[in-house]
Amino acid sequence: MNQAGRIQQWSQRLNLRLLILVLALGLGLNLVGVGHLLVAFHWMLSPADLQLLVQLGSLLVMVLIAAAGIYSLVSEFAFWEGWLQGLPAPASLFEPAAAGRAPYRCYLVYLDGIHQLERDHPPRVSNFLALLEQHLPDDTLLVRGLETYTVMPVALAEDAGSAWFWRRLFALQEHYPSPWIQLLAAVLVQANNVIKVGISSDRRYGPILNYELALKISLRLAEAGFRPDTGSSIVLSGYSGGAEMAMGVADYLRRITRSPVSIISFCGVFSGNQVLHQLAGITTIVGSKDPVAAFGRFAYPGRSPLLPLSNWNKSLAAGRIHRLEIEGMNHNGNQGPFSDAFRWPVVRAILASLPP
Amino acid sequence: MVLLEFERILDRLGGWLIHADFGLGLLFVVGLSMSLSHVFALFANRLSSRQILCRLLLDAVVLALAFLLSSSIDMVLLRLYASNPVHPSDLVNGMATCLLPACFYVCVAAPYIGETIGFVIWVLMHLNVVTFVHVRFALPWDQSLLLCTPGYVLAVVVVALLFRQGWQRSYAMLASELAEP
Repeated sequence: MNQAGRIQQWSQRLNLRLLILVLALGLGLNLVGVGHLLVAFHWMLSPADLQLLVQLGSLLVMVLIAAAGIYSLVSEFAFWEGWLQGLPAPASLFEPAAAGRAPYRCYLVYLDGIHQLERDHPPRVSNFLALLEQHLPDDTLLVRGLETYTVMPVALAEDAGSAWFWRRLFALQEHYPSPWIQLLAAVLVQANNVIKVGISSDRRYGPILNYELALKISLRLAEAGFRPDTGSSIVLSGYSGGAEMAMGVADYLRRITRSPVSIISFCGVFSGNQVLHQLAGITTIVGSKDPVAAFGRFAYPGRSPLLPLSNWNKSLAAGRIHRLEIEGMNHNGNQGPFSDAFRWPVVRAILASLPP
Repeated sequence: MVLLEFERILDRLGGWLIHADFGLGLLFVVGLSMSLSHVFALFANRLSSRQILCRLLLDAVVLALAFLLSSSIDMVLLRLYASNPVHPSDLVNGMATCLLPACFYVCVAAPYIGETIGFVIWVLMHLNVVTFVHVRFALPWDQSLLLCTPGYVLAVVVVALLFRQGWQRSYAMLASELAEP
C-alpha cells in the first residue's frame, strides 16, 4: 500500500473514531438533559402524573403507527375505486397474439426489497441484475425497474396520497445532506414499504393490493412483448419484502396472463398466506446467516408448523416448495446477496431454478 | 287507568335513560369506531361517497344496538341468576364504560397489526365487564364470568358476521373482474 493509501485509511479510521466519540458525547449529553428534564417534570408533576404522561405517550405512539398504516391504504383503495384514473380492465391489457410463438419463452420479473424508492435500483442491485441478465438464456427476458411498493407505475415521490410527504422529505434530504437526514429518509422509506408488505399479507386488504400490482406487472409484461396463450411462462423473483409481493401477485398474475407463474425468492420475508397451490413452482433461496428471513417465520404464523392447514404448509407438504441454502450469506451488506462474495452464488441458484 | 299506567312506564323509562345517558352515548361512539374500522370494506365494494356515509352510520347504529342487546342479555342473566341484586341502569352505564377500549377500535383498520389490536380490545372489553360486575355488584368471579359471557359471545358473532359479509361481497366483485374473458 502506498503512502497516500495509508494516509487515507488512517484518516477514515480517525473519522470513524471521532464519529463514535461525538455520538457517545451526544448520547451522554442527552442522558444528562433527559435526567434534568425528568427532575424538572418531577418537580412540576407528581409520579402519578408522570406515569399518566408515559401511558398517554405510549398510546399516542400506538395510535400513530396504526394511523400511518391506515393512511397508506388510501391510495390502493382510491385506485380500486377508479378515482386515480388508470385501473385497466384485465381483458384490455394485451394485444391479440399474433400467429406463432412469443419472442421469449420466459419472462423473469424482478421485485426489489423494501429499500426501493424509485424505478432505478441502487448500484449494488443494478450490478447484481446485470450479472443475472448476462447469464440468462437467450429465450429469457429480465423485466426490471418495477416499482414494487406503489400501485401506480410511478416512484414513491409521485405516489398519490403520499407524494406531498415524500417530495418534502426528499427536498429536505437534498438541501441538508447530513447523515441524520439520510438515515431518517431511509428509515421512513423502509417503514412505508414495510407497511405495503403488511397490506399485501393482510387477509382483508391483500387481495385488492395484490390484484392492482398484478395488473401493473401485466402492463409491464405487455410492454415487453408478452402475450397470453403463446406458451411463455412468468417467473417472479423477489428479494426480501419483494418475495411477499411476489407471493401476493402470483395467483392473480396467473389468472390475468393465463400463463404458468413460478416464484424464486431470495432472502425472502413473506407470509405464505396467499393462494399458492396453482403455481408452477416456488423456490426460496436463503442465507444460513440471514436473521431477517428467519424472523419472517416467526412474524407470520401461517409459516409455523403449528398450523399445518395454512396455504404455505399445504404447499410445503405437497412438495411444491424447494429450498436452497447458501452457506454464510446474510440479508444485506457485505455478506448479503448483492455483495461481491455472494452475488454469483445467488445468480447461479436463480438460473438453476428457472423453469426448463 | 291504562293511560296512567303507560305514563308511569314512560316516566320510569325516561328516568332510566337519563341515568344511563353516558353509557348510551358511549355505545354509539363504540359503534361508530367499529364501523370506521371496516370502512375499507365499503370502499372495496365500490360504493359512492354518499352510500359509504349512510352505511357507516347505519353500521354504527346496528353495532350500538348489538352491544345494547348483549348488555340486555347480561342484565337478564344477572337478574335471574346473580346472587346479589343488579340495577339495570347502573349496569348499562357501567358496562358502556367498560367498552371504552373499543373507542380505539378504528385502529383495527391498520394493516397486519389490526387483527392483534382487535383481539386485545375484545379481551380487554370482556375483562373490564367481568371485573366491573364483580366489583360493582359484589358477585363472585366465576359467577361474573359465566353470566357475562353469553352476551359477549353474541356481540362477537354479530360484529364478525357484519364485517365478514362486507368483505365477502368485495372479494366476489374482484373475482368477477378476473373472470372477464
